[in-house]
Amino acid sequence: MNQPKSKRAALVLGSIGLAAIFAFAWQARPAPRLAEFALPQTQVVPLPDQQVPVFESRFASSSFRNFAHASAISALPNGDLLSVWFAGSREGASDVQVRGARFDARTGLWGEEVVLATREETQQGVKRFIRKLGNPVLAVTPDQRLWLFYVSVSIGGWAASSINAMYSDDMGHSWSTPRQLVTSPFLNISTLVRGAPVLHADGSIGLPVYHEFLGKFGEYLHLDADGRVLAKSRISDGRFSLQPTVVPLDQQRAIALMRHTGEDRRVLASRTEDAGRTWSRPEVLEPNNPDSSLAAIATPRHGLLVALNDLKEGRFRLSLYGTDPQLQQWKPLLDLDESPDEDGRPIEESSYRRIVAEHFLKSSGTQAPGRLEEFLSSIDHRFCSKGQCKFTYDYPYVIRGADGRYHLVYSWNHSLIKHISFNDAWLETQL
Amino acid sequence: MTLELWSSQLGLALGIFVLLPLRNRSRSLQLAVLLALLALGLVPVQGLPLVAYPRALVPELSIVALVALGWVALVRAGLAQPLPASQRVTLYLLFGALGLLLYPAALGLGPLDPYGWGYGPRTMLVVLGLLALLLLYLGHRLAVAMLALATLAFALGLLASENYWDYLLDPLVVIYCWLALLVAGARRLWSARSRPLAD
Repeated sequence: MNQPKSKRAALVLGSIGLAAIFAFAWQARPAPRLAEFALPQTQVVPLPDQQVPVFESRFASSSFRNFAHASAISALPNGDLLSVWFAGSREGASDVQVRGARFDARTGLWGEEVVLATREETQQGVKRFIRKLGNPVLAVTPDQRLWLFYVSVSIGGWAASSINAMYSDDMGHSWSTPRQLVTSPFLNISTLVRGAPVLHADGSIGLPVYHEFLGKFGEYLHLDADGRVLAKSRISDGRFSLQPTVVPLDQQRAIALMRHTGEDRRVLASRTEDAGRTWSRPEVLEPNNPDSSLAAIATPRHGLLVALNDLKEGRFRLSLYGTDPQLQQWKPLLDLDESPDEDGRPIEESSYRRIVAEHFLKSSGTQAPGRLEEFLSSIDHRFCSKGQCKFTYDYPYVIRGADGRYHLVYSWNHSLIKHISFNDAWLETQL
Repeated sequence: MTLELWSSQLGLALGIFVLLPLRNRSRSLQLAVLLALLALGLVPVQGLPLVAYPRALVPELSIVALVALGWVALVRAGLAQPLPASQRVTLYLLFGALGLLLYPAALGLGPLDPYGWGYGPRTMLVVLGLLALLLLYLGHRLAVAMLALATLAFALGLLASENYWDYLLDPLVVIYCWLALLVAGARRLWSARSRPLAD
């Protein structure tokens, strides 16, 4: 008689204990609420016809000796800019660092490169062996915190990447210890950043990311103001879309443009109407995409501004397009940089040196003509192979500052990070 | 044991402990070996704690894996009886099925991402809570302990992940369950084949 009674008591107690644990978890981990998009806070910007057209070009990076790639840029609250990129002896090398430079808005000059994250510091921070570093992106949140997210790989190639996060409460002068976001159930691998983060109205961060292990698809990570992952949604699925760049149109609607890795080789687009919780099936757009990163931003009067390689193959021309929010009408605005050969064929080295010197001087603005000889002496395998040289302009990243000015950075022949800036008045002249 | 590495260090220590032939050794020696193994993870190797290297492959074990390893360690130390075969198969089926639900889809098979359900997982908590109650009434105490401790750890945020799935599963648990089910199935098939046919 006693045993069944004690067994019953154990069952009752066990049930109560279980109910308490699951109720506690229910209460402690509420369902995530995805706040609406925060629309960009620009100052009162004069109408385009009251502005003087501005278009400027400079280099944000200053070292000529490294493979420099995958740049990002952020406007800081005092009007300065911070650009970040990865640089090292080659892509994927263990000496690759996340570097950055600050643009002084008063002088109009980029400062010296500084190292923001190294492989060694990252593995010390996350207590995990790290083999290489990659793509960084930046975000300034409403609590005046500057976030740096960047990719690292412990074992294998880029498909095994994880995302690291660190922040600065003094706008990039000092940084927190990096920590790794847990974003995937399979050994926390294959989540990468590339597109610019998006802010939500409650100060949380939307991080466009992508997966490229078995499938290749875009995803949207929602982080709270402390960088904790709140939710994840899938922008696309399958094996052909990467590197979403998300452009909010209003509080609920946004467009994600994506790189196409399939045979169609055209830009892909997906839309959300619930602030990033769900996304439409991707549609194929008019411009070509040679499996190359692209960047986009909303403009107050012209829909979207998109920087991309509108090519079937190669990345020898980077162009700026305007399109409407329906993505139906595409208007070429400017070829930002291009090879003199319209098919991007390699050029014999002696001719190449002359042409690339012209491009370098044209791109440098007033900043670096005195460094031409130093630049020419740095020409190596990044540009030329067996006496044949090529031009590469890729991985654009675009933002709009609080003063209404647009800032675009991209890889310039994988040796420098080029920064161009322009305003709405200049855009008007291109339409 | 540093706080952020506790699960990796415990997993590494228990993983090695269960492989050592310590069954007939004294309790004090077993305890000393376990403590030494826990300390082993902190030994610096080229500027990093030793445990940072296995973390390159498996960043964090799930709570279910830690409970399983803890149970096996208790059995190896002679402090607990092995689970009956039927209860072992229940565990393999439970976590093998959860892995089948999660991994193929989360890695891109189809448009649905069940990993997303693990953030603020109201539905998962209801389903797994009811399942835990059922297992309690069926007497599967280890399975109940695994689900309860994983859920408690999730509520308290004891792992780096904010996702409920990462407390329940990791690839090592799932692969072990799938292999164990395959072996169990093959054994059953083999014994059925080798049984003499009735005339």
